[in-house]
Amino acid sequence: MHTLPWFDVVGFWIGIFLTFAILSYLYKDNPFYKLAEHLFVGVSIGYVITQQYYNVIKPNLLERLAPAHWTDALRPSVYWIPLVLVALLFARMVSRRIAWLGRYPLAFVVALYAGIQINAVAESDLAEQITVSTRSPIVPKKDVNDPATTVRDLASLPGFTPAVAEKVVAARVAGRRYGSVDELADTPGLTSAQRQDLRDAIADFHGLAAQAAVEPGHHDGFAIASRIFLLIGLCASLVYFYFSAPQTGALGKVARFGVYVLMVGFGASFGSTVQGRLALAVGRAMDVLDKDKSPELAAQIHGPAVSIASIVVILVGIVVWEKVYLPRHPRP
Amino acid sequence: MAARNALLGFLERFDRRWIFLAMGLAIVLPLLYPLGLPADPSPMVKAVFYAIDDLPAGSTVLVSVDVDPASRPELEPFFHAAVRHLKKKGCKLVFLTLWYQAPPLVEHWIKDDVESASFPGDRPYRSGEDYVWLGFREGKAVVIAGIGQDLAATFNGQDAAGTPFAELPVLRGFARLADFPLIVLVSAGAPGAKEYVQLVQSRYNLKIVAASTAVSLTDLTPYYQSGQLLGLAGGMVDTAEYEILVARFLGLDPKEGVGAKALDVLNIGHLVVIFAIVLGNVIYFAGRRR
Amino acid sequence: MKKQLPLLIGFLAGSFAIAEFYIPAGIVRDIQSKLLEFASVLAAAAFVLGGINVIQVNLPIILHRRPDWQYKVVLMLGAAAMLLAGIEWHSLAAAPAPTQVTERPTGTTALAISASRDDAELSVDNKPFVPLGSGWREPVAPGAHNVAVRIPQPGYSAIAMPITVRAGMELTLRVPVRMLWGPSGRVYTWMYDHVFGPCNATMFALLSFFIASAAFRAFRARNLDAALLLGAAIIIMLGRVPIGRAIAGWLPALSDWIIDIPNNAGRRAIMMGAAIGAVATSLRVILGLERSHLGRD
Repeated sequence: MHTLPWFDVVGFWIGIFLTFAILSYLYKDNPFYKLAEHLFVGVSIGYVITQQYYNVIKPNLLERLAPAHWTDALRPSVYWIPLVLVALLFARMVSRRIAWLGRYPLAFVVALYAGIQINAVAESDLAEQITVSTRSPIVPKKDVNDPATTVRDLASLPGFTPAVAEKVVAARVAGRRYGSVDELADTPGLTSAQRQDLRDAIADFHGLAAQAAVEPGHHDGFAIASRIFLLIGLCASLVYFYFSAPQTGALGKVARFGVYVLMVGFGASFGSTVQGRLALAVGRAMDVLDKDKSPELAAQIHGPAVSIASIVVILVGIVVWEKVYLPRHPRP
Repeated sequence: MAARNALLGFLERFDRRWIFLAMGLAIVLPLLYPLGLPADPSPMVKAVFYAIDDLPAGSTVLVSVDVDPASRPELEPFFHAAVRHLKKKGCKLVFLTLWYQAPPLVEHWIKDDVESASFPGDRPYRSGEDYVWLGFREGKAVVIAGIGQDLAATFNGQDAAGTPFAELPVLRGFARLADFPLIVLVSAGAPGAKEYVQLVQSRYNLKIVAASTAVSLTDLTPYYQSGQLLGLAGGMVDTAEYEILVARFLGLDPKEGVGAKALDVLNIGHLVVIFAIVLGNVIYFAGRRR
Repeated sequence: MKKQLPLLIGFLAGSFAIAEFYIPAGIVRDIQSKLLEFASVLAAAAFVLGGINVIQVNLPIILHRRPDWQYKVVLMLGAAAMLLAGIEWHSLAAAPAPTQVTERPTGTTALAISASRDDAELSVDNKPFVPLGSGWREPVAPGAHNVAVRIPQPGYSAIAMPITVRAGMELTLRVPVRMLWGPSGRVYTWMYDHVFGPCNATMFALLSFFIASAAFRAFRARNLDAALLLGAAIIIMLGRVPIGRAIAGWLPALSDWIIDIPNNAGRRAIMMGAAIGAVATSLRVILGLERSHLGRD
């Protein structure tokens, strides 16, 4: 592990300070937060402009227009079109009276995006989803004795890991024939933890016993019922979005069931959103506490100590601002 | 009546900064005192693992890294694990991004994982021979539609360093998305997995696996169920599960992954949010009943 | 000119994008490819326009000393610093000195490498990188080898080159390393890592606190719909993390079922409805019935 230059160590300290400056907004809007916010916006502007220039405008426009010889400069090129459109886009910066020229590039881009979207969503969000919704709801159980059942097929079953699936397939190839799903836990070579996982997964209507069998011709009743429920829920939800007839009587009852299905879906979204939002905070916490860095790097940065120092500085600053500055400079 | 008003008034006057403090403790304490509860990979995550594992050795894979600094906790562990998995299979890698926030992050990650030896037995990859970083292009849906037809036209026939495609052996024979046997999406939002599925997956019959943030998970599960996505790892939990699968595959300790360490915060954080919901409802209904 | 011509341009571009999907002719694909490139350039230019506009808005606040003008100074300084760091100044300077390669007969076949910085790292023949320090020398087999030298921190030049070492000769490489500017440069990357990155991530991290606060103050199971929503949310929150399995073994399975079945049923319905809506809205834009994006006269 190399020694970090002091420039980078100070950089980590600045990042930690800015983190707590922004988090101080949770107490109330204050000068530290405003400072960090404006610094962030300013740096973002410079960042965006340079990224767009060097990654898009320079290679995809300027380099295409750059002449190999000065005599080529006036030779017509199809890339004059985007050059003119970009110039029209910037017309509003010259004068408000010619700002309407910006409508040409805007109309082109918006309509192009719209045209691309039509076929794309019709195929992927309508046709494909209708296709999968109308497939057969019959779900056969995976036959563990069938040579065609692969490691991958078995690994997706409850209680299985890829390693367990490989051992089961190896036992099958060696000639073992399972008489019941319970016997999977007796496969040679499994660890005691793997055996226990398989026993725990033998649940009645949704576990290993429901999804696996030892001979062909069996079906997963729970999965079949679930698929039928999904189809009914889908149709009911679609009925809810049908506003061309009043939602009363039988139609109203079906639409109500559709609302219930939608609400469960929104609840799932909310639960996932909470997880996502927490993850955002986890990243910052790991960064300021040096939990995502190697021990050698953490020993150079001293994240926890810098965090405490930042919190103290910000707390003292906010107290001084509230008790000393604000009374002397009341906001209008 | 007075008790009811008191309860309802408590709800209105309750300083939400106490909730912020509880949340802050729920985030920090598990990092300092880990629980170490084991995670069990779900079928969707195993599908991601197998989609990559089924690739013939030496395949060329396109990786679209559409991330920003905020999504690092949920997606960076997946990127590291996926790159190690692909390198173990000897796959060649083509990186690009549609997000302007991503390029410096992607360059860091390429340096740490692709150009370095990141697991026992690994070797540094060479730019042009083993991997290529095409860079960033603005345009969102337009760029996805563009690379579906012609990679060279979208990137002006050069990688991020300006090397022409003709001088990059890794891109020989790969002119458009359909040429790649697998596309791996590391997607923090829009444009990302949803747009790839809508614009190019069905049209060109592409094989795609995706890692997304938890917020996008419920939007993308219909695509997984329909087979438009071969596998899906949504959020920090799934990312940690994939990290565990790859660690076992490489013979490493699964508990050492960053994703695994972050799971403890989710355990406690979720309990705090659930407690807040339940407590708020209990006080509200108690106030109403009186 | 102000209204009809933009609508005509929109109609032509949108119609072509729709038709291209069904026409496999090469010329149509080529034209579509060009149109997509043009749109990409315009999108990038729009971002640049937006950035310049922010500067245009904030400059008068500073000049006229309006409230909080001091923060706008910080904003402008931040933008200026990032813009200046993002220009590839090194490309304006003289071309960098090439790697010096010298060869001398020593009787043993060896490779010696040094760099202009002590913190450089070296990889020979695709082996893992090792610190180069003040220099590296080792005997090697005669023949072709690969050498790569880099600095661990981002923002410096790196080399990767094939070399040939002849039997009985020592090949010495002196690698000059220089600091880069621009989007892959030292200062730019430093500002991204230590200002942009932490601020961007922390701004979003605030949401985790607000969602907990909202959960306490606003999420009420006032009716059956809301109760279903909250119930499903609680099951998902518990079932998708390891503590759910510790609480009850069936929680993860129930949470997976909720995501696979009722969630997907509702999502598909929304997806299909949104797809029909998107097709309708896109057609309205292309046909010129929807003009709000063009602004008012």
